[in-house]
Amino acid sequence: MSNEFPGRHAGQGSRRHFLAENSWRLGTLALASEASRSAAAAPPKPVDLPNQFDLRPKLPSAPPQTQAMISFFMQGGPSHLDLFDNKPELEKRSGQNFGGEIKYDNAAESSPKLFYGPWKFARHGQCGMELSELLPGLAEVCDEITLIRSMHTGVNNHGQSIYALNGGRPTGGRPALGSWLTFALGAENQTLPAYLVLTDPGGLPVLGVENWHNGWLPSLYQGTVIRPQEPRILNLDPPRGSNLATQQRFLELLDSVNREQLSQRPAEHELAARIASYELAARMQTSAREALDFRQETEATQTLYGLDNPKTREFGIRCLLARRLIERGVRFVEICTGNQTWDHHGGIVTALPDICSRTDRPVAGLIKDLKQRGLLDQTLVHWGGEMGRLPVIQNEKNIGRDHNTYGFSVWLAGGGIKRGLTWGATDEFGHKAVENIVNHYDYHATLFYLFGLDAAKVAFPRPNGLGTILDGQAGQIVSGILERPPTSA
Amino acid sequence: MIRCQCPQWLGTILLVLSPLSIAWGEPPGEPLFESHIRPLLKAHCWHCHGEAGETKGGLDLRQVRRMVEGGDSGPAILPEQPLESPLWQRIVAGEMPPGNKKLSASELAVLKNWLERGAPTSRAEPENPETSSPFTDEELSFWSFRPVVRPALPITGQEGLENAVDHFIAAGLDQQGLRLSPPADRVTLIRRLTLDLWGLPPTPDQVAEFVSDASPEAYSRLVDRLLASPRYGERWGRHWLDVAGYADSDGYSTRDLERKYAWKYRDYVVSSFNQDLPWNEFLVEQIAGDELLTPPYRNLTPDQAAQLIATGFLRMGPDGTGDGEGEVQTARQEVIAETIKIVSTAVLGLTVGCSQCHDHRYDPIPQADYYRMRAIFEPALDVSNWRNPTARLVSLWHDEHFAKAAEIDQKKQALNEERTRILDGIVSEVFERELLKVPEERRADARAAKEKATDQRTPEQQQLLKEFPALNVDRGSVYLYEPQKINEHNKKYDDLTTQLNSQRPPEDFAHCLTEVPGALPSTRIFARGDFNQPREEVSPAELSILCQKLPTQISTKDPSLPTSGRRLAWARHLTSGRHPLVARVLVNRIWLHHFGAGIVATPGDFGALGARPTHPELLDWLADWFVESGWSLKSLHRLLVHSATYRQSSRRHPDLDRVDPENRLWGRAAVRRLEAEVVRDSLLAISGRLSDRMSGVPVPVAPDEVGQIVVAVDTRDSAGRPTGKSVPLGEDEFRRSLYVQVRRSMPLSFLESFDVPDMRPNCTQRNSSTVAPQALLMMNNEFVVQRSADLARRVMGMAGHSRAEQVRLVWRLATGMTPSDRQLIEAWEFLDAQAIAFADLRLEGEQPERRPDPVLSALASYCHAILCSNRVLYVE
Repeated sequence: MSNEFPGRHAGQGSRRHFLAENSWRLGTLALASEASRSAAAAPPKPVDLPNQFDLRPKLPSAPPQTQAMISFFMQGGPSHLDLFDNKPELEKRSGQNFGGEIKYDNAAESSPKLFYGPWKFARHGQCGMELSELLPGLAEVCDEITLIRSMHTGVNNHGQSIYALNGGRPTGGRPALGSWLTFALGAENQTLPAYLVLTDPGGLPVLGVENWHNGWLPSLYQGTVIRPQEPRILNLDPPRGSNLATQQRFLELLDSVNREQLSQRPAEHELAARIASYELAARMQTSAREALDFRQETEATQTLYGLDNPKTREFGIRCLLARRLIERGVRFVEICTGNQTWDHHGGIVTALPDICSRTDRPVAGLIKDLKQRGLLDQTLVHWGGEMGRLPVIQNEKNIGRDHNTYGFSVWLAGGGIKRGLTWGATDEFGHKAVENIVNHYDYHATLFYLFGLDAAKVAFPRPNGLGTILDGQAGQIVSGILERPPTSA
Repeated sequence: MIRCQCPQWLGTILLVLSPLSIAWGEPPGEPLFESHIRPLLKAHCWHCHGEAGETKGGLDLRQVRRMVEGGDSGPAILPEQPLESPLWQRIVAGEMPPGNKKLSASELAVLKNWLERGAPTSRAEPENPETSSPFTDEELSFWSFRPVVRPALPITGQEGLENAVDHFIAAGLDQQGLRLSPPADRVTLIRRLTLDLWGLPPTPDQVAEFVSDASPEAYSRLVDRLLASPRYGERWGRHWLDVAGYADSDGYSTRDLERKYAWKYRDYVVSSFNQDLPWNEFLVEQIAGDELLTPPYRNLTPDQAAQLIATGFLRMGPDGTGDGEGEVQTARQEVIAETIKIVSTAVLGLTVGCSQCHDHRYDPIPQADYYRMRAIFEPALDVSNWRNPTARLVSLWHDEHFAKAAEIDQKKQALNEERTRILDGIVSEVFERELLKVPEERRADARAAKEKATDQRTPEQQQLLKEFPALNVDRGSVYLYEPQKINEHNKKYDDLTTQLNSQRPPEDFAHCLTEVPGALPSTRIFARGDFNQPREEVSPAELSILCQKLPTQISTKDPSLPTSGRRLAWARHLTSGRHPLVARVLVNRIWLHHFGAGIVATPGDFGALGARPTHPELLDWLADWFVESGWSLKSLHRLLVHSATYRQSSRRHPDLDRVDPENRLWGRAAVRRLEAEVVRDSLLAISGRLSDRMSGVPVPVAPDEVGQIVVAVDTRDSAGRPTGKSVPLGEDEFRRSLYVQVRRSMPLSFLESFDVPDMRPNCTQRNSSTVAPQALLMMNNEFVVQRSADLARRVMGMAGHSRAEQVRLVWRLATGMTPSDRQLIEAWEFLDAQAIAFADLRLEGEQPERRPDPVLSALASYCHAILCSNRVLYVE
């Protein structure tokens, strides 16, 4: 069975490869004995919790097809109609009244007029995926991705739809996706946080820190923020005004003071343990600093991510950091754009090209780089917002589009996802998903499957029963987009 | 439906990890049914075979007699071929009990041994387990249920022992050929005592005064001075707040609404400790303070208000009945369940909550007892006539406050009517304007459609309004059309409202528990804990195991009181001085906080799964002494801290470590990490920043830009987005951690790192972890860095430019100690090298004239290292 599960860095014998392969062998044994036991015993116990929570690597319940995830959270709602979902009918009837039923967020500026954006679509790659001219970088790597054109949450505001996509329900207080995955799987590197969020200089997305909150999971599983400027990680970087040398001297003094005391108190293990914990903390600092030092990368790599261009540099750095972190065993990395960056209620004609030109090339660079390093096979990449936009105009004086959570596009790549596939469809105007609809809970069931987990079974006790990401919703694994779908499906 | 409150996994963990075989007391001698086998079957099997009339397969495992008789598939025990017995066969094959929780290897061994010996009982079994006494002799004579009897002081070989505590401790050490350790030096002692009684380090002057005081009374004077300070109540009140589950928010759901007046209970606790309110009165007020007063609670004197506020103790648990989340009936039931958990672990030291769904698996607490205890609280926590948290607040206003408020409210109402009238005018203006965009021939229809009530519009009218959505303008959306006008309108009326509000007397409430006089709801046993399956009615009563030696009656209604009197009767019984648990549990807690561990290592569980006392006679002696001396906590502190046991050195030595590595014989003092609040408060105190402002509204907490919870005013907008605004807190920022808001969903990140308890619902004993995030926080967190800089400035101000003086002062402020010559030299070299490094350091975007002084930076870095050191974080 382990043959079906190639190591992540084929031929490189990396730590992750070794761990993953061996842990899977152990996993099969554990599964077999679990099966025989549950056959003998009556109702299986719902959930086993450790007495103390940690981030050590844990075995999934089935062979995983991906080890880590990078999620591009494009908060605000990128216009699928102008980027991913070309609609000839919309082009034909642009400017005419829509006539159909439509739900607006802002009725005061609403207009019934259909609107086809000024950007051209063309087919790309061997797969012939149709993409907007706003995404030339993505067009170059479209043979690596699955584009889903039929996403649906059906809750028409930012907060609720973020909650749905990130926590499984349109209500707050639930654990974020990254918290679930680190809770279930831990991480392979104990000197870096397991779940990292790379925030944007333009501020936090809507819902702020709730986007990476552990909800009712232990706080150990909360996402750790990597800030867009120095110091990038709080409490992980030496205080402002010091450098490596001054901090090293400080640590030596601290160690000396502590050891002098310990020498008077032999066998006081607690004091010795704290000395060791300062040493580990210092190592964590070093490994985080090392991981975040993108200047170690070759010029060619930096250029691949757009670091040579002021327009793409900032976002490119974060994409490059994401790869470096994943490479070092971090489980989940989220890259955010700023607050409502993609929420184009007005001014879409200038604002959409602007944000695309900031992000498109670095994103494509990441896909190429992951592929050339053999990391793409075991890293799941996601790109998407919490909604799409309406086919009609909002604000005729300064054209924009209003919210649409009934049909929008996201794409996935790597880690068990089919390449060069377009999945699902919206209606002739791109308003509602009509074919192979993917609800947020289907999306979660699919992601968990790729990690070797069952979204209905990774659970945590709650006052009224067990809490899961699906929370009783019938999430269906979207087998059509998977290279190795579940055999029963 | 409420699920079983004792999580199965918790049981598993306890079984696997706790030294259960010791805790369970693996009774000595050959295995007998009552002592060895019954507890095991009760824990694993009775749920389906014997309890509450449940006998699956007709099999009842409560008596050996019945096992031999057997069930539907024949006898469970075959006395002639013991290992062929189906009981053994099914268990050893892993078929029973079902589920993943199986008997341990040692349990299996005992069971096998017992079967092979012919399944003996210690006495003849009664005919019917239901009609005989519900408790076995073993349960009745369990150590913590026996009456407290003051033992004689043991004779020891150690001379000169003046303190009763020392007699017991020395006697225990004697048996191992050990002696008490020598006393700690004076610097260590004053630091230990000050941190212990105040939760703050001593100042250099206090240390110097004590060290140079040659009088034999020096130590007593120090103890008296510390106990007389209000810092004492802040420190020890916090210990009780853990047990009470104190929080400034409702918890339960993710909304975690703020409890605006819970702090009054916190202040009541602090002040009760400071006044040394006798513990019996303190308990009576907390459990039944409202029953000492006469409803309606109007025009209360300060003392009366305090008695009412005291019942906040019973309102500390999570309460989700006011937040509109979750299922209402379940939420109400949960409030009662959580309150019982808090009261029973705090006062009785028993996990009564485990008998909510079934008889307690390990302790002699039948399920009916749980509901009898519930009946004590049910008139106040009445599910049939529930009051949500806001409705439970009792105003502390006097009549004149009410009159003034009514006058202002009338004016506000008039103002609001005017405000709405004008707003409606703007809405109609906008509508008329938008109507003009509708083709003329359809305008009349559009107007008619708009004027129709929403649910009475015809499909055509609905369609028309969908076609021209702007016509739907209403009070809520009109700001989208006339933003400026609406802003001005809102500002004008907001200002006027604010003006009126400022004339209203400030709200003042007690967060308390009261009864509605005359309401006496019935209490029923819930089958398997499910409130949808009420069974027979029960009357209020103390746990029956505790009534065996101390019969007590709690009447359903005390005719002499307007309220039911149930809680008052129970509180009087608890404080009668003869209750087997109340004083034992309390003195054990006080011991725990002075000595680092309890005489009973599980302060919230004096039952079968809890630990046994290391020194049962000492515990009883202290419990009895405490009651006899008038329930005075301060007297108990004096007794304990004057003992030679308390004053010992904490140094380990091989003889002691070999015999007693965990220090259960108390042959030395324990080295302990400071608790979360003490770490934070110490940093504030050492750096000279600590505010001594007491009591009042808690200091707010809020997430910062990356989600760390810090002391700050929450300036997020209604959608939870950061606004970037910051509101200066002034001195409040530096108040003791006790006064920082306890928001159940937002623990202060600094305190959380150092194991501040998660109040779900309360905490009977804190963790003390040593993990890398604590180290990172100390090394790099802005709060710590700022306090280091504060300390450096403070030291420069006090010691001038003499470097040696600066370093000495840092040590004396932070650790109470004077640094050695070696440490002075080390400091000298460090400060030199660090100053040079800082002078060379250039930071990006830095303005030369605003560069910090490298000498000051070096000193701050030195202070930082000392503040991070174990000398500060631990008490020796």
